Amino acid sequence: MEYLQLGRISLIISFLLIIIGFWGILSQKNIIKIIVSFTILDTGINVLIVSLGYLKGRTAPIIDASVSQGPNHNVLNAIVDPVPQALVLTAIVIGFGVTALLLAYAMKLFKAKRTLEINQFNDLKW
Amino acid sequence: MVSPIYIVAAALGVGFAIGVLGKLGKNFSGILALLTIGFMTFVSSEWLYAFYVGNQVPTYIFTAGFKPPISINLLMGPKEAFLTTMVNFIGLLGGIYLFFNFGRKGRNAYVVYMVFLMSLNVVIMTRDIFNLFVFLEISAIATAGLILIERGNRAVGAGFKYIIATSIISSILLIGIIFAYFYTGTLNIDGLVQAHLSTTATGGIAVFLIMIAAVLEMKPFPANGWGLDVYEGSHQGFSAVVSVATATASYYVLYKLLAIAGPVGSQWDYYLALMGAVTFIGSNLLGVKQKFARRLLAYSSIGQLGLLMLILGLRKYLGDNLDYVVLGILITNLFAKTGFFWLAGIVKAKTLKEWAIIRRKPFFLFLMGTFVFALIGFPPFPSFFAKWTMVMNLARQGGFGWIAVILIGSFLEAIYLFRWFGYAVKGEDTYKYDFNIRWHKITPIVILVAALYYAGYLTSQYTELGRMIDFIPLFFVLVLFAIDFLPVAVKNTIAILGMGTYFYFIYPDLDNLRLIFEVIFMVGGILTLIAGYAYKGKRSGFYPVAILMYAGLTGIIQAHTTLEFFFGWELMTAGSYFLIIRGKRSMPHALSYMLFSVAGAYAILAGFGIANIGQAFPSLDIMNNIQYFPNWAYGLLLIGFLTKTASVGLHIWLPGAHGEAESDVSPMVSAILLKAGVFGIVLALIGMSKSDFDLSALAYTLGWIGALTALFGNIGAVFQEDAKRLLAYSSIGQLGYIVFAFAIMTQLGWLTGFTYVINHFLYKAVLFLTVGAIVLRVGTHNMYEMGGLIKKMPWAFFAVLIGIIALSGVPPLSGFTGKWLFYNAIIEKGWYFQGVIAMFAGGIAFLYLYRLIQTIFLGQLKDNHRNVKEISIWFLIPIYTLLTGILVFSYEPQWVLKPLGNMIAQYFPNNGLHWEGSYAYSHLGYWTGAGVAATVSVVFVIAFILLKIMTRKAHKLEQFDIVFSGERPERPETTHIAYNMYAGFYKAVWPLTVPLVERFWTWMSDLVHETAGFVRRIYSGNGQAYMLHIILYIIILYFITIGGNI
Amino acid sequence: MSIYAKLAYTLLGLFIVLNWGMLMSATFRKIVARVAGRHGIPFYQPWIDLIKNAGVRTTLSHGFMFYLGPVFRFTGAVGMFLFMPALFGSDMWSNFSFQGDLILLLYFQSFGMLGMAIGAGDGGHPHSTIGISRGLAQHAAIELPMILGVISLAIQYHTLSLNEIIAAQQGGFQHWTIFTNPIAGITLLLAALGAMGHSPFNLVKAPNEIPIGPPTEYHGTYLGVLMSSGAILHVIEAALFMNLLFGGATNWLEYIVKTFLIYFYSVFVGVVFPRFKIEQSVVWFFKIPLALGILAILIYSF
Repeated sequence: MEYLQLGRISLIISFLLIIIGFWGILSQKNIIKIIVSFTILDTGINVLIVSLGYLKGRTAPIIDASVSQGPNHNVLNAIVDPVPQALVLTAIVIGFGVTALLLAYAMKLFKAKRTLEINQFNDLKW
Repeated sequence: MVSPIYIVAAALGVGFAIGVLGKLGKNFSGILALLTIGFMTFVSSEWLYAFYVGNQVPTYIFTAGFKPPISINLLMGPKEAFLTTMVNFIGLLGGIYLFFNFGRKGRNAYVVYMVFLMSLNVVIMTRDIFNLFVFLEISAIATAGLILIERGNRAVGAGFKYIIATSIISSILLIGIIFAYFYTGTLNIDGLVQAHLSTTATGGIAVFLIMIAAVLEMKPFPANGWGLDVYEGSHQGFSAVVSVATATASYYVLYKLLAIAGPVGSQWDYYLALMGAVTFIGSNLLGVKQKFARRLLAYSSIGQLGLLMLILGLRKYLGDNLDYVVLGILITNLFAKTGFFWLAGIVKAKTLKEWAIIRRKPFFLFLMGTFVFALIGFPPFPSFFAKWTMVMNLARQGGFGWIAVILIGSFLEAIYLFRWFGYAVKGEDTYKYDFNIRWHKITPIVILVAALYYAGYLTSQYTELGRMIDFIPLFFVLVLFAIDFLPVAVKNTIAILGMGTYFYFIYPDLDNLRLIFEVIFMVGGILTLIAGYAYKGKRSGFYPVAILMYAGLTGIIQAHTTLEFFFGWELMTAGSYFLIIRGKRSMPHALSYMLFSVAGAYAILAGFGIANIGQAFPSLDIMNNIQYFPNWAYGLLLIGFLTKTASVGLHIWLPGAHGEAESDVSPMVSAILLKAGVFGIVLALIGMSKSDFDLSALAYTLGWIGALTALFGNIGAVFQEDAKRLLAYSSIGQLGYIVFAFAIMTQLGWLTGFTYVINHFLYKAVLFLTVGAIVLRVGTHNMYEMGGLIKKMPWAFFAVLIGIIALSGVPPLSGFTGKWLFYNAIIEKGWYFQGVIAMFAGGIAFLYLYRLIQTIFLGQLKDNHRNVKEISIWFLIPIYTLLTGILVFSYEPQWVLKPLGNMIAQYFPNNGLHWEGSYAYSHLGYWTGAGVAATVSVVFVIAFILLKIMTRKAHKLEQFDIVFSGERPERPETTHIAYNMYAGFYKAVWPLTVPLVERFWTWMSDLVHETAGFVRRIYSGNGQAYMLHIILYIIILYFITIGGNI
Repeated sequence: MSIYAKLAYTLLGLFIVLNWGMLMSATFRKIVARVAGRHGIPFYQPWIDLIKNAGVRTTLSHGFMFYLGPVFRFTGAVGMFLFMPALFGSDMWSNFSFQGDLILLLYFQSFGMLGMAIGAGDGGHPHSTIGISRGLAQHAAIELPMILGVISLAIQYHTLSLNEIIAAQQGGFQHWTIFTNPIAGITLLLAALGAMGHSPFNLVKAPNEIPIGPPTEYHGTYLGVLMSSGAILHVIEAALFMNLLFGGATNWLEYIVKTFLIYFYSVFVGVVFPRFKIEQSVVWFFKIPLALGILAILIYSF
């Protein structure tokens, strides 16, 4: 069971999500589905970030009861790397913003042509 | 010094404040936003000034009270200061330009715009890679929001494609960042650089992901459909800002991240150069086929991004000059492209052809011209100096292939920009709609144009070579622009006086060789300008461009360095282009002239680049001492000069360009301008004569080119119906002789060459001026529509008579001097067959010369010309001055040829010719100009007097007092043999008149257009296809870069 | 020798050549007539024509340039005579040949032609222009073998001076260029056919289609001047080829015999062959004469 540690599982899942996301973006014709695929991709990346920062047997970088705070005990040895965790938070916020914007655009596109098929929006070409 | 952090603080603070104080109204919010952007500009420019003055060191700004890697830090160095200043400056102007457009969308638009600029500032300054990601995303979101200020479906579609593409790119970047952090434990760019990530295989993937994301931000061809759509689809005011400000930031992102990929000269440099090259050439190639102005600008913008990427990839070659080159290209692109986009926003013409409306307001044409010439890299704009420096460095380091890439890409860009400009200057203006001037939209453009000129001057002063350039003639051109509202007589006088004064001051410094050409350029210039007094009104725009050409011409004469020479060369090209395009039907001809000139100039540039290898200082004397690849260097230089002399193969631009030009412009561009190419050839050949290498093959080829040019030029002239085209073809032929004679490379050969140079200047100026003046009187170029004008214009007739006798080479006039020398030269050299071809061409010259004088002056006068007057006195003055020159040179050739022989003795053994009084002796023969002239004159006068006495009672006949086929003709048309005059000769020599060269160039042009038309189909408009392009691009690049190494 | 004596001899030479030329043109017309089965003119007809032309009472003028046409033609003819030595080795009969070499002669040929063409053009008659356009086209075509031949000679003798070329041919007929450099000789003789302007190369004046071509409008004194010039040119053209190919002449008898033979070589070719059309004529010079001319130079190139 060495292979199936938490870190590795989440790593595999993250890659799966990323690939599904890319696949969705490239294959789905409906704009809403593309946006959903994009959020899947985003989630995959977030999972990836967290799993790369994961260290076996350590806890979340929040200094609370789960972290023993003895005088000679270095807190850093008890928690996982805090930086990826912080990054994920930021990335989620940004992903939220982008998704919101994409949905707003989807709305505008639908208003323009009463359709959500991405093939229908080829006004600009060549 | 205000800390750069206040840029961020001010933008965010005011942004929130506007949100809170919303009740105060849109305009107040807008002005507040503009003030904030102004403050941001002030902060960054204050830093820039501090760096410029030199007492400032790059400063890190730490945030959150910690030092990196714990916290995020910003860097304010000279580059950051410059780039942020530029971004904020363009942002400020853009804010003014878009003030009311934002207003219509409500006050939040101002906030988004501020945040957009702020994010770009941070992207430039930050030293933290994750922070970089965040602000890239912020700028993308802001951009996607601002795209919507343009109404309509196109903008929405473009925005959607943009946001989804940038999101994917950011995702890639984020994954790369995570991997990089995983392997190094830092997010600080400086830390990542020290970690040498790319040395390990796994680190290589992190580098790959980061780099590919940075590259994709630069919109590499062909994975850039989304970028094109944004440039085209969003509001022009905003496209401009995206195209330059975002692009500038993206470039700097790439620059910063490239350090992570490895040191100078690493693998990634090469990949970048490769991708840049593909983008630069690809975008410009597709631009060639484009009909719509906005999309064309988009292609051009992306081409420039490719160029920047290419330059960055070539940093190994450029060394310390990288920043100078980037600065030159970047600043030109910033100012010119922004201005161009904004101009497009004002003019509102969709297709390129519709841009003809722009000339309803000539000042706008001036603006557009500035942008076009700046983008192509003409002097005095910064891109000119950047391109020069780049080519010199590349050549020095052996990057010849890259030089070719850059020059080919630039040439493609020149094709569409000049075609567009041609439509604007001369296209048919049949459109009903007009465009309005709104001051808040014009002002930013005018500021940009002024900045462009000033930046050009500053760029030139930055280097030692640039400081040597003489800007006085150029300044005179600007003065003439400023006084363009004055009547023609005043401007003409000022122009003549200016040229005269300038010539007076510079001529003592010239050696004999340069003096000959300078006299042709300056004295010839003044003489042809005198003809300008014949014009009425303002003749708007003529004098600045005419003087621009003469400024260039004198520039190449006075040049001490190759840079000065090239500077003058390009000025001359620009000026002559404007002169040529003034003709009524000149649009296509001016374009082909310009394209051949640009291509020729690039050949010269490359030639100078190769010549410069191994030289300490690029003075013009390096042409005498080329140390590496001399055949290539001289060959390229000669090809460049041959485009100007219109040698066979490169000649197709000349007949139209010279034939359709205005009456006094034709002599300028024919008799005078063509000699610039000759001067270049002379310089190159002097160099070849001094070279230690065996370059005889090159000279031999040149000789054949000259001989064939003479033949095909003259045959072409025989079958023209248009008098000016006839003279134009004749010029091709004459220049062929000149090229041939110089290629002989002996004293006699060069004497022949110079004799032809002087002769061609004299008689071609006479003929073009006379014919031009006649055209002004009769209103047609077609010779078969003229006839019998000798009765109306005896003075013009006499001028043409002398002109054609001189040109034909019949003794006793000066043309024979050239022929006699020619025979001696070719026999002495042993170039019999080339010589025979050239002399045969001389025999053919009789045909077109006779046709010229017969069909214009002799035969039957047409009814609609019964009231025409003698040609203008202002034309007769220069014509008869030049005729005096012909006669003096005919009767006393030794006055000129003796000193010439001594001068040529510097280069070749002085053994070809010697003089005893007026007798010239070569190894083969002898001849006296004065003696022959005297003998012939005496016989002629005696015969004339005798005949006159014997026919003193002759009765003067009326026009139709002849009998033709038993009838007395009543219509001149039926008895004036002019149209298709040499039909019989044509039946004999038609195989020589098949326009193979034209067909070849047409085929080339079709090839380029068809290729472009085929390739651009990848931009199907489908957003999903664009995603696929991005993914495929990544995959392909992966296999190219690290595919096999893992 | 004083300049006056020189001038006197030169004028005397010109007088001889003029009369000899008139006699030759009469003979030419006589021969052509006899071949055609006519009786032909008396040998003194040209002198009668000349006097008659000078005596014609009505003289008409189409304009100033119309005058200059014959003047140019005459100057061209006299000039050709002056710049060529009449007799070799004689200072008296060397004319003004010290003023220029073979190249001068080659190009001075065109002086009269071009001036005449312009004068005729001023007459405004279409036939003139048609004739001239043909003449120029043919002249350009002749030029090609002519130049090739001359250059071959120049390579052979290392000189362009006519006097030196003649000098090199002295000492017996085996030294004549036609024997020492036969290819160039034949080339030049073929070019000479064109230069003399007899059939098959007489389409310039083509009596049947464009009655006498360029001089159509000339009459009376003008025509007299033109005919005199023509007579001089007949001799001079022949003399040129005599000097180039047949060793020149050292006395007037030799001069007369040789020019007669050369001239009548072209006349006899002319009566045998019918007239070419212009394109045929031009193309003809681009075939055998051109090939021979190239060969004439090639043999000196190796």
